[in-house]
Amino acid sequence: MFDKLKELICQYVEVDPDTITKDSRFIEDLGFNSYDIMCMLGDAESEFDITIEEEEIMKCKTVGDLLDYFGGQENG
Amino acid sequence: MLKNIGGINYDCYPLTPAQLLNLALIKSGSTHEVENIGAGQYLQMDLNIAALREALNRAVERCESMRLRLWKDPETGELWQYVVPYQNEYFEYYDFSHWKEEKVTEVLNKWTSQPFDTFGGKLSRIVIVTLPDGFNGFYYNVHHACMDSSSVIAFTRDVIEIYCSLLYDMPYPKPMSSYIESVKKDLTYEGSKKQKKDEEYWHKQFELPEPMYTDYTGIGRLMWLRQKNNDPEQRWGLLESSDGKGNTITYELSVASTEKIMNFAQEYALPVSVIILHAIRTVLSKFNNNETDIIIRDLVSRRSTLNNKKCGGVRMHCFPLRTIMPLDTTVLDSMRLIKKVQDELFIHAEYPPLKCLGELCETYGAPPGSTYTSVDFTYQPGTLATIGEALKGIPFKSWWYSNGKQPQPMYITAMHRPNDGGLNFYFGYQTACATPEEIEFLYYFTGRILFRSIENPQKTLKEIIDMT
Repeated sequence: MFDKLKELICQYVEVDPDTITKDSRFIEDLGFNSYDIMCMLGDAESEFDITIEEEEIMKCKTVGDLLDYFGGQENG
Repeated sequence: MLKNIGGINYDCYPLTPAQLLNLALIKSGSTHEVENIGAGQYLQMDLNIAALREALNRAVERCESMRLRLWKDPETGELWQYVVPYQNEYFEYYDFSHWKEEKVTEVLNKWTSQPFDTFGGKLSRIVIVTLPDGFNGFYYNVHHACMDSSSVIAFTRDVIEIYCSLLYDMPYPKPMSSYIESVKKDLTYEGSKKQKKDEEYWHKQFELPEPMYTDYTGIGRLMWLRQKNNDPEQRWGLLESSDGKGNTITYELSVASTEKIMNFAQEYALPVSVIILHAIRTVLSKFNNNETDIIIRDLVSRRSTLNNKKCGGVRMHCFPLRTIMPLDTTVLDSMRLIKKVQDELFIHAEYPPLKCLGELCETYGAPPGSTYTSVDFTYQPGTLATIGEALKGIPFKSWWYSNGKQPQPMYITAMHRPNDGGLNFYFGYQTACATPEEIEFLYYFTGRILFRSIENPQKTLKEIIDMT
């Protein structure tokens, strides 16, 4: 899932996928703006067939936060 | 769908909601001039005109939306779009070097107000221009159903990068992405799961009590409308003045003041757009008896992926950003609430904006041509110019030209200047509805509220309003 998420991130920002870690922050490290994040998360919903609650979307600051959220969704 | 237009078969596609939004302005604006977007990019150096012509041609070849045509099926009335093949073009050259700058701007504004034949021909015009004081470059005018400000910026950058690569051994820029592919993707939205979710969100917003129109000049206009319609409870205003004529006044914020905003944005992890929206929202509240329920129409560029950033075209949507907050809300909480609502709006920004705005008015029984907001706002983090390493240090200027029309009461654009990064505020207003002095007044109070707010983030909205 991490690799798929990296692929998705690279559709939005010009970064080397190898530099993306779970600690990478969307805004400060990867250069996303608020709108990019919202769109990327919308695409992630379709890509991973997961429903992301709006309140939860806004709490996702790092790649790891998002992976944890996806993990929780899958387990639930 | 293959259509035969003028004896030639073209792959045609329906118009996107963003294009339909722009074309709706023709209906409300009643003239076509309102559809034009005019821009210029100039460098204070001698340019190689042949190389510039070559760069412009190559940029047009790479940018599908610069070759876009619109077509109205004469039998069904349906609207379609298609891209014509690239053909080498000879761009005219105009030498205005002995003219006064104001006069040149007047001419270029006039060109920008010349209507295109929307459904019958070419929808852009590019000319090479020499301005006074040794500035050389190009002006272009394009139909707003083909390009928006983000794609104008992308196109301008492409021209300059190609020009530099032709003359200065700079790398050739990466190709633009396909506009038609972006259209195809947009057209899959209708009937999708995403559309259902977005519709649910917007319909939920309309369950709130009827909003209140807040005019940027104060309560006078709503009072006048209430009297005119003999309805003391009326809460909606009018979208457009009778003639739709407009003017734009530009205010330049100093670099030091801009830095204060940027530093605040960084310190509190807030987008710059939210900070400015807070100031506009608070000024509307101040001018309208401290109203607590304010709508600003927020424009969304819808250019998040790398492909969308470089595909040209028009992708801008706009939606009502409504916030209801008591006057004892602190500045920080105000900004955080605006950010929350803006984030929600971003999530649901694929929804067709005309449908959303129409449903908003219908829900509360407001008639066609009415509105609950007097201000549209857009923040453009990109600048018109980028001159590349090869031309670094050479003075340059970029300019947006007025098309003379204004389809909404007030359109505020905040954009960073290319030369020093300071913010420019463009106030586009309807001349029948406000005087330049009233616009100055609005800018003055927006600025005061903005800076009192970032200096005192723990103060309440009431305290900020009273301080200003």
